[in-house]
Amino acid sequence: MDFALSDEQKQIKEEVARFAENEIEPVAQEYDVEEKYPWDIIEKAADAGLLGAHIPFEYGGADYGNLESALITEELFAVDPGIGLSLTSTSFGADAIMEFGTDDQKERFLEPIPTGDAIMGAAISEPDTGSDVSSVSTQAEKDGDEWVINGNKMWITNGSIGDYYVVLCETDPDAEGRYNGFSQIVVESDRDGFEAEKITGKLGIRASDTAELILKDVRVPEENLIGTRGMGFLQQMQFFDETRTAVAAQGVGIAKGANEAALSYAQEREQFDRPISDFQAIQHKLSDMHTRTEAARMLTYKAAWNVDQGADITKLASMAKEYASRVAVDVANEAVQIHGGAGFVNDFPVERFYRDAKITQIYEGTTEIQKNIIARELLGKGY
Amino acid sequence: MKVLVTVKEVAAVEDEFQIAGTSIDETYLEYDLNEWDDYAVEEAVQLQEAGIADEVVAVTIGPERSEETIRMALAKGADRAVRIWDDALEGADLLDVGAKTAILEKVVEEEDPDIVLSGVQADDDGFGATGVSLADALGYEWAAVVNHLDQDSVESGTASVRRELEGGVEELTDVELPAVLTIQTGINEPRYASLRGIRQAQRKEIAPKTLGDLGLDAAAVENELELTDMYEPETESDATYFEGGPDEAAGQLADLLREKGVGAQ
Repeated sequence: MDFALSDEQKQIKEEVARFAENEIEPVAQEYDVEEKYPWDIIEKAADAGLLGAHIPFEYGGADYGNLESALITEELFAVDPGIGLSLTSTSFGADAIMEFGTDDQKERFLEPIPTGDAIMGAAISEPDTGSDVSSVSTQAEKDGDEWVINGNKMWITNGSIGDYYVVLCETDPDAEGRYNGFSQIVVESDRDGFEAEKITGKLGIRASDTAELILKDVRVPEENLIGTRGMGFLQQMQFFDETRTAVAAQGVGIAKGANEAALSYAQEREQFDRPISDFQAIQHKLSDMHTRTEAARMLTYKAAWNVDQGADITKLASMAKEYASRVAVDVANEAVQIHGGAGFVNDFPVERFYRDAKITQIYEGTTEIQKNIIARELLGKGY
Repeated sequence: MKVLVTVKEVAAVEDEFQIAGTSIDETYLEYDLNEWDDYAVEEAVQLQEAGIADEVVAVTIGPERSEETIRMALAKGADRAVRIWDDALEGADLLDVGAKTAILEKVVEEEDPDIVLSGVQADDDGFGATGVSLADALGYEWAAVVNHLDQDSVESGTASVRRELEGGVEELTDVELPAVLTIQTGINEPRYASLRGIRQAQRKEIAPKTLGDLGLDAAAVENELELTDMYEPETESDATYFEGGPDEAAGQLADLLREKGVGAQ
C-alpha cells in the first residue's frame, strides 16, 4: 500500500494550483456575482494546456486517469467551484466517445477539446427525468440516413455555450426491458431546431453555464450515433464510477478551500484580545473540518485509483460521492460560522463555497440515490 | 543552434520556521524552480519555438530530489537535462561561485552550446555571480541582467540585448556568440507547464553525472567561503502619512521618493 503521490502527480497539483491562484482567484467573485461564463479563463487554460486532461494523447490530451483528474479537480474547486467546473466540464460526455466512438468520431469530437476550440456536454436529464434515468423521453427517429430528434433536456452543463452534446435519446420505444431502446447521439448546437435557454438564478456554481436544451426536429447524420443503437442507457451507466468519483473530488476541493480560508481567518481575527483560534470552540471546529476532509480525500483517491485499475467500484464510488459532498456542505457551513458576520457577505470566499457546495449533493445522483446504491450493493439486490 | 539553460532548485522557508545553527530543517522548507531560471527557460523555449534553437538542454547542480523541480523545465519544453551531484557536494553546506563555475564550465565544454542562459541570481543564496563567472572562465562574451533579447539577431550570430542598469537606466548592447546571458525577470511571461508537457517530461532524459564523469575531483569544488552564522534580521516598518489635498500629498510623495533615491536622471 502506497499513499504517496508520484512526482508527476505532485507536479500536476502544483501547476494547476498555481494557475488557479494566479488566474482564477482574482476574478472568482466577479464571475459569481455576474453569473457569466468565464470565456477568458477558458482561453488562458487552453493556452496553458490544462483542458481535456483525460483525452487520449493521440487526440491532443494528456491521457491522464481518474486519479490525476481528481487532483486537478480538487485544486481548481479549492479556489473556485464555478470556474473550476467550467474548466473541467469542457469535455463532459467525452468518455462515451472515447469508449464507444469510431476513429472518425474521436477525431471530430475529441481533438478540438484540449485546444479549447470546442466545448462539449452530456445531455441526460429532462424536465421529468432526474434520478429515474430510464424514463428519458427525448425521441430520435431514423429518417433515411439521418436521426430526427425531439425533446427537452434539462440542467445541461455548458448548454448555452457548448458546440456539441452527447444526448441520451429513446430510439427504440418498443424494445423489451426497462434499460433497452436508448441511444447516445451527438447533437451539434448549430443544427436547425436546436435551441438553448440559459438557466439563471442558481444558488451556486454560477460561473458555470447551465441550460435547458429544446430540440425540435433536429436532424443529425446517422454517423453521430455513438456505439450501439439501443444500448445507450447501458453505455451511459458505465461511466457513473468515473463521474461520481469526479464529483467526490469536487467536494474534497470545496472542503479544502473552505478549510484553508477558515484556518487563516481564525488566526487573523481577534476577539477578547486574542486570535479566535485560541478558543477551543474554534479549535475543535477546525480539527473536525480538517479530519473529515482528509477522510473524504482518502475515500475519493481510493475510488479514483480503483477506477484507473479497471475495477468495478459501484459501491465505493457512491460512498466517495455521498461522503465527500456531505463533508463539503458541512465544512463550508462551519467555515462561514468561523467567519461570523464576515462570512455572510461575499468579501471572503467562504460565502461562495457555502452556496457552491450544495450542488455536489444533487448532481450525478443525489445523496439519496447514492445511499440506495450503497445499500443495494451491500444487500446484493442488483438493479 | 543549441541553448544551454542553467537551472536551480531553490528552497524557500515557510511563514514560521526555526534556524538550527547554520541550517533550517527540511520540514520548514519548500522547494521550487528558481524564479529567474524560469524566465531563462521560457526564453530558451521561445527560441526553440521560433525555429532558431534546435535543442534546449537544462543543466543543474543538485541532489536526486531536485529532479522533481527540474522536470518542470522539461515539461515547459526543454529537451533534456543534465544533473550533477556527487558525495563531495553532499557534505558541503554552501557551494560558492567558484565551485559552481568549475562544474558548469565542464558541462559547457561537453555540450558546446551557442548560448548559455542563466538566471541573474538564485532566490536562496543570491550570489548573482555564477553566469558572469562562467563566461569569464570559458572565455565567452556575456551580458548580465538582460531584460530583452532580439531573437532574430541570435540567428546571425550576435545577440542584441537590452540590459537593466541601476536607477532605471537601460543599455542596448550586441554580444558575439557564443555567450552567456544572465536573464532578468520580466523578459517574458513564463508559461504554465501543460498537462501534456508534464506527461511527456516524465520520459525525457535527466542524465546524472558525478564530478568524476566531468573529469573533476573534490578539490575542484572546495569552498573558499564558510557559512558562519544564520539569523533572521529584525524587521522594521516605517510609515509616513501625508496630510492635505491630492496636489499637496502628491508633492510630498514625490519629494519623499526623490529623497529615497527613486527616479535617477
